[in-house]
Amino acid sequence: MKMHTSSKLRKEFIKKWVKGLQICCSSKKNMDILERKKKIKLCADIALASAKNETTLWSIALISEAKKDDENKILVDNLLGPESRFKPRMTNRQMIACHKRVRSKKILKKSRHVCQKMKKMGPPKSNLAAYIAKKLVKRRTQVLKRLVPGGESMDKFSLIKEALDYILSLRIQVDVMRTLVNANEVLNQSDSKIYN
Amino acid sequence: MEKREETCTELFQFGEESEIQSLMSVVPPPETGNSFTALLELPPNQAVMLLHSPEETAPDNFTSPVLLETPNSILPNSSPNNFSLVKQEPVDSDSVHNSSPNMSDPVISKSTKRKEREKNVKSAAKKSKSIANETDGDKLPYVHVRARRGQATDSHSIAERARREKINARMKLLRELVPGCSKITGTAMVLDEIINHVQSLQRQVEFLSMRLAALHPNIDINLDNIISAESGSLMDGNGNFAGMVSPPLSNQIWQPDGLTPQPLWGVEEMNPNFITPENSLLSYDSSRSSVSLHTNQLKMEL
Repeated sequence: MKMHTSSKLRKEFIKKWVKGLQICCSSKKNMDILERKKKIKLCADIALASAKNETTLWSIALISEAKKDDENKILVDNLLGPESRFKPRMTNRQMIACHKRVRSKKILKKSRHVCQKMKKMGPPKSNLAAYIAKKLVKRRTQVLKRLVPGGESMDKFSLIKEALDYILSLRIQVDVMRTLVNANEVLNQSDSKIYN
Repeated sequence: MEKREETCTELFQFGEESEIQSLMSVVPPPETGNSFTALLELPPNQAVMLLHSPEETAPDNFTSPVLLETPNSILPNSSPNNFSLVKQEPVDSDSVHNSSPNMSDPVISKSTKRKEREKNVKSAAKKSKSIANETDGDKLPYVHVRARRGQATDSHSIAERARREKINARMKLLRELVPGCSKITGTAMVLDEIINHVQSLQRQVEFLSMRLAALHPNIDINLDNIISAESGSLMDGNGNFAGMVSPPLSNQIWQPDGLTPQPLWGVEEMNPNFITPENSLLSYDSSRSSVSLHTNQLKMEL
């Protein structure tokens, strides 16, 4: 079952990646290597995310991140195609309001945390280790939130689920790209054989 | 019921705890309090049951006792018998891992955000949302959690505990996924591994795209490669495409300037019954027919 969905995802990804590269290339010629790399990676990321077809939060977040950049917008729109039902989930104002809310929550949390810390300078010793454990986990979840696209606005529970899915999809992406690179190397070897 | 009582007494030891032991000399007994470690006492089968219960049509074990509403007869040990109901959203059927619903009720989520440092042993703090759902396909909004002996019976903490159990069940899935994680005990270390894994995958993507960019003067030439590679992978699994790939790719030599954007001939027509790369090459439009002849010549030479 897993294999089936992953090979389907793989094909979708390849299709969309090819399409994106074509669009990229038709728009601009003679890019330098860094630009090319950026475009390739961008196409790959967007292809991966759109192959998910909005079933996961991270893919939606990735696409909306890409759309924010104006020069990418055209590419993304073309790539998603006429069948794209994708609309930005929130309008700009809502997004700003959401950010504000998140920030004020954070400030509240932090102040409360500091307050509690001050109060409980001599914490119940029995809880000290647990407290440290909690802190460790918390720090790591913060890092994970930064890594997974769109992670900041997820709660711990969905973050784990999204991380799972993200890892799987990243693996597919890496696999396809590596296959391609190997193919090129084979080509280069056969090239040199012909010329020699 | 009996099984659950037995499992109440099991304990998990954490590698995390031992790490902290080296720092501190105090090790709390894991049974007490709402600590994270206490929550992870729940043995995996029970956690998995909780995880899967919304999926199976009827966790009858859970719903029926609640309907009866006579807790005293069922669990003599758990002193204030509190049944707290945690609302869950319907299952996302598409997800690969059959994961259970993720968002809890806003009331509960607010309460779980509070850090609880002390036990509140209240008696009879029942929550008043008590619609026990029947076997309604995959929509089971409530998971019934029992308060265990010696633990806080506050409805909030029960809800929080249920949530944590779900999280831990998911963590187990994650641990199976990430290589080398199943040996590690303790959430923080597992998270470490996961973070490393994600970071390394992301770095690999960067690196590979750099290599691809370096290999070709322009992006277009990638297309042939991709298509061939894809057909190769379609034909015989993943790595073993070298033999397939070299003949079709040889036409690249004849196109020093790269392709003008071709219509997506191959990709659209590609289906699982895709025959051979050679056939696909021959279906190029006429401007490239000379190219395919060359490729045949090359094949013979090779």
